[in-house]
Amino acid sequence: MINTVICSLLNIKYPIFQGGMAQISDAELAAAVSEAGGLGVIASGNNTAEFIEKEIRKIKSLTDKPFGVNVMLLSPYANDVSNLLIEEKVPVIITGAGNPGKYLKLWKEAGIKVIPVVPSVAFAKHFEKLGADAIICEGTESGGHVGELTTMCLTPQVVDAVKIPVIAAGGIGDGRGIAAVLSLGAQGVQVGTRFLLATECNVHQNYKDKVLKANDTDTAVTGRKTGHPVRVLKNKLVNQFKEIEKNNGTVEEMEQLGRGRLYKAAVEGDVDYGSVMSGQIAGLVNKEQSCKEIITEMFDEAETIMKNLSSFISGGSNE
Amino acid sequence: MILEKVKAILVEELDVEEENINLDSKIKDDLGADSLDLFELISKIEDELDITIDEEDYGKLVTVGDIVNYITDKQ
Repeated sequence: MINTVICSLLNIKYPIFQGGMAQISDAELAAAVSEAGGLGVIASGNNTAEFIEKEIRKIKSLTDKPFGVNVMLLSPYANDVSNLLIEEKVPVIITGAGNPGKYLKLWKEAGIKVIPVVPSVAFAKHFEKLGADAIICEGTESGGHVGELTTMCLTPQVVDAVKIPVIAAGGIGDGRGIAAVLSLGAQGVQVGTRFLLATECNVHQNYKDKVLKANDTDTAVTGRKTGHPVRVLKNKLVNQFKEIEKNNGTVEEMEQLGRGRLYKAAVEGDVDYGSVMSGQIAGLVNKEQSCKEIITEMFDEAETIMKNLSSFISGGSNE
Repeated sequence: MILEKVKAILVEELDVEEENINLDSKIKDDLGADSLDLFELISKIEDELDITIDEEDYGKLVTVGDIVNYITDKQ
């Protein structure tokens, strides 16, 4: 059994979060992850408080276990959503892009655990100062909105910079990834791409098929100029973005092209002209399984690896 | 004094020449900072000038002059 401080902090069996993926991480997926012993996370995206309230009520009817809600602070409804999460006594709030500063205090006062996702050491230190309970450091390997640093480089630097527990995200697709980030100093993992293939994940089958077929070099980052770069699987839409970038297109042009594209892919199944957000680890994930199978397989594998790693060490020193 | 310190931080963080920094230089548009740079900049200013900049005020810091005025008011 792999046990870390994250397990006792959040009262979960396995130190694994399912990443909050907009348009995709609904109550059903989150409930399945929580029931399987991880922390399921509902993604708020740009949804209204009413919409999110329905998802929260649903997950509470599906599981008694702890769950989280990922709050998109840039949403026009951020204020209402923040109040909703306090009323609903949501156990864990995970924050993405934007500044949670003013909300963080209110959430902490309500007894909620707050865990921001960060792309750099400076952000990690900032949120520790504001009272965050833990930090998720997300490497550029991940899908969706990405920073510049890799999980390999970001994780140990964030671990060194803060005293609160660090959860690593980005590029973890199996037990090897778990063992690797624990070696880097993380106390837990966040996984997104692999959970796209969970049987309980309601994303369109075309989206799942594209992730299943993907290999290591099949992702690209688009929209760097907009300040919100996004990692997606290559397709016709990505080629259109590249054309705009080649011709020195404006931020407005890029944002216009990107509008509604995630919905197109995730809900409508248009994987040619939709945004198929995915991490680089898509090349590794190759089967559809239940959340329970995913989590137990990953942690059993991690445990075996961690036990066997000592076989590299022999009696004498490397002289 | 404050302007000198802010200029020094900008030179170091953004790799710009000191002579290109004026009070009305816009941090993003003129000095080429992106959102991540801006955040690092703010963190550095907080550490070196021993002040706290509220998140709500980040949006107000458009020019070098804005930063200098903000720090002056805080001290």
